[in-house]
Amino acid sequence: MNSRMDSFHFRFEALGSGCEVVIGSGSKKNAQSIAGCAIEEVSRIECKYSRYRTDSLVSRINAAAGHDWVECDEETLSLFQYADTLYESSGGLFDITAGVLRHAWDFGNAVVPGQDVLSRQCSLINWQSVERQGNSVRLPVAGMEFDFGGFGKEYAADRAAALVYRKGVRNGYVNLAGDIRVLGPKLDETPWLIGIQDPRHKSRTIASIPLFTGALATSGDYERYFEVDGHRYCHIIHPRSGYPVTYWRSVTVVAPLAITAGSCSTIAMLKEADGLAFLEDSGMGYLAVDHLGEMYCRNTSSGF
Amino acid sequence: MRSGSTTKSTVFGTVLLTAALALPSVEFAYADAVPERSIVSFKYLNYQDNQGLLSQSGSNTNGLNTTSGASSAVTPGTSGSTSSGSQDRIGVNAYSVMALVPVAGEWSVGTTYTSDSVSGASPTYHSSGLAKMTDLRRAIDVELTRYFSRGSVSVGTSYSKEIDYISRGFNIQGSMSTEDKNTTFTLGGSFNNDSINPVIQPSVDEKKQVASGLIGVTRVLTPQDIVQLNVSYSKGTGYYSDPYKLYDNRPRHRNSVTALARWNHHFDDNGTDGTVHLSYRYYSDSFGIRAHTLDAEYVQPLYKGWTVIPLLRLYAQNEADFYVSVGAAENADPTQPTPPPSDAVYYSEDQRLSGFGAVTLGVKVSKQINKDWLVDVKYEHYEQREQWSLSGDGDPGLTPFKARSIQVGVSRAF
Repeated sequence: MNSRMDSFHFRFEALGSGCEVVIGSGSKKNAQSIAGCAIEEVSRIECKYSRYRTDSLVSRINAAAGHDWVECDEETLSLFQYADTLYESSGGLFDITAGVLRHAWDFGNAVVPGQDVLSRQCSLINWQSVERQGNSVRLPVAGMEFDFGGFGKEYAADRAAALVYRKGVRNGYVNLAGDIRVLGPKLDETPWLIGIQDPRHKSRTIASIPLFTGALATSGDYERYFEVDGHRYCHIIHPRSGYPVTYWRSVTVVAPLAITAGSCSTIAMLKEADGLAFLEDSGMGYLAVDHLGEMYCRNTSSGF
Repeated sequence: MRSGSTTKSTVFGTVLLTAALALPSVEFAYADAVPERSIVSFKYLNYQDNQGLLSQSGSNTNGLNTTSGASSAVTPGTSGSTSSGSQDRIGVNAYSVMALVPVAGEWSVGTTYTSDSVSGASPTYHSSGLAKMTDLRRAIDVELTRYFSRGSVSVGTSYSKEIDYISRGFNIQGSMSTEDKNTTFTLGGSFNNDSINPVIQPSVDEKKQVASGLIGVTRVLTPQDIVQLNVSYSKGTGYYSDPYKLYDNRPRHRNSVTALARWNHHFDDNGTDGTVHLSYRYYSDSFGIRAHTLDAEYVQPLYKGWTVIPLLRLYAQNEADFYVSVGAAENADPTQPTPPPSDAVYYSEDQRLSGFGAVTLGVKVSKQINKDWLVDVKYEHYEQREQWSLSGDGDPGLTPFKARSIQVGVSRAF
């Protein structure tokens, strides 16, 4: 350990949540400039892929649904390629066209939509019908939408971490609203101790794991939800039934990349009771809390 | 040795990871992921496990499934990844999976008082934060941490602004653990400088400066007991009055002492698997207020899906030196405010500065009917009275306050 080095924590708001970049560096100025680059990268991805910004690429493609082809750059095409793998690996559960269900579920007013509304929205979910040709993409039916929210944040964490790493930083991590990519251990070579939020008590943690490298992401039913007659409706919605999933309170996955961790945790949530078998099969470390509060976990592979 | 499903898993994990690695510059070299760090992590872990056994909220330990066969998980390409058609690709990428395996320790289950960062779910859609994007740079709070072999020192600054309130802060905190890591000492200090410009009184242009210090010790006594003791002192100068109240002029200095003791005990040995959380807090300040708070909560998982959590909170404080009790006129007609005594320098009629005591008594019972149905009932009784104040008599003009709440919840999973 270089005794001249310090860890600098930078907290900022992005993607609608609190985020942080931690950088081990010899000077505050250097750390600040690197953190600035990382934050700008996160901001770039948010501006490009947020469906809540009318000027984003995703909004442009969505607006052209049923009409025009939109030409995409390499980055976007590779994200579509990743979305395709997600769709295949999850048996069609992780579908980036499922975002249309958010129009049916009004979390602000806590209203359970009718079956007709849900059926109509579900009929607009169909990744396989998306037309891709060369560099262009087209949503075939007006009303269909892409939503990169399912992995955009994790992708941003990986990108920001890669950028920081390329600037020579070997100690620190990027945490975008709970999706964490670790660059390397603390300056004294000990691991970062990452706590896992209690899905029913915001200020408590239920577990922790020391992380030297790799990534960790959590999906849960508790950040955005409403309750009607004691039933909880969360923001993770099954693309076939149109109803929010109910089996898991929280699923955390430890994986080499944040995007892999996030994808696995979301697929496990969507698979409900079959999620546990999926997590075992994924080969990643995980900690899952089911709807009764029971915990299941497995450590990451360390056999090398 | 490897079961069919494990082989499938190697393929499956690899497929997802391969796809992710195809994304532009997401990966980076993991050259420094040397094996000895894993060894360090296991050593570290033993301690964590011990701590994990305690400070539980009951249901957490149940069903904890520490899979010992984990090492066969993301296993590298030497094995037969033959269940897929694209063998070569899998083989090559299984190798990169090996190189990328995150170096992590083991899960330690149970609440901890410390962690470097927290992972939680957040909605996959977002709208609130977008407006703040342009302010990104300015919104940054910086904290610098220097780590030592058994401790760390952090220094941080903060800034927040509301329409009538600007707060600037500076804080420093250090912690030091004993060699066995069972005892951790904490020392901290902070300084806040606030500007107050209430909207309704543009003439008020005030400042408040508060400096405080904290000293604490956390000790893992046994695998079932963790205790914490914190004492903090705070010294403040400036505007403490409430500009939105009629008769309110408080001293410009407020010094306070707070002592907090917590004890979590997990009943492991007698087979009850219950957990008790106890805490006591003492508060005293230069306004003349002394307060005691006692909290007790017991979590008992029972047979066949029942859980019972009784809880009790006792609170008592005496009144501030300058608190103005409800006068005779106001007693007769609540629309007639009581003016402060003519010779009073400081005065306030804020009920939170009066003497009172309160008891909260509650119990929550939940029952898992079957795999799908969960029913819970929570009953709470809150009672606040001036006679229960520390001095034995508070402000007789204030009416006792009682509240009862019953919450019934039925939830069904499907």
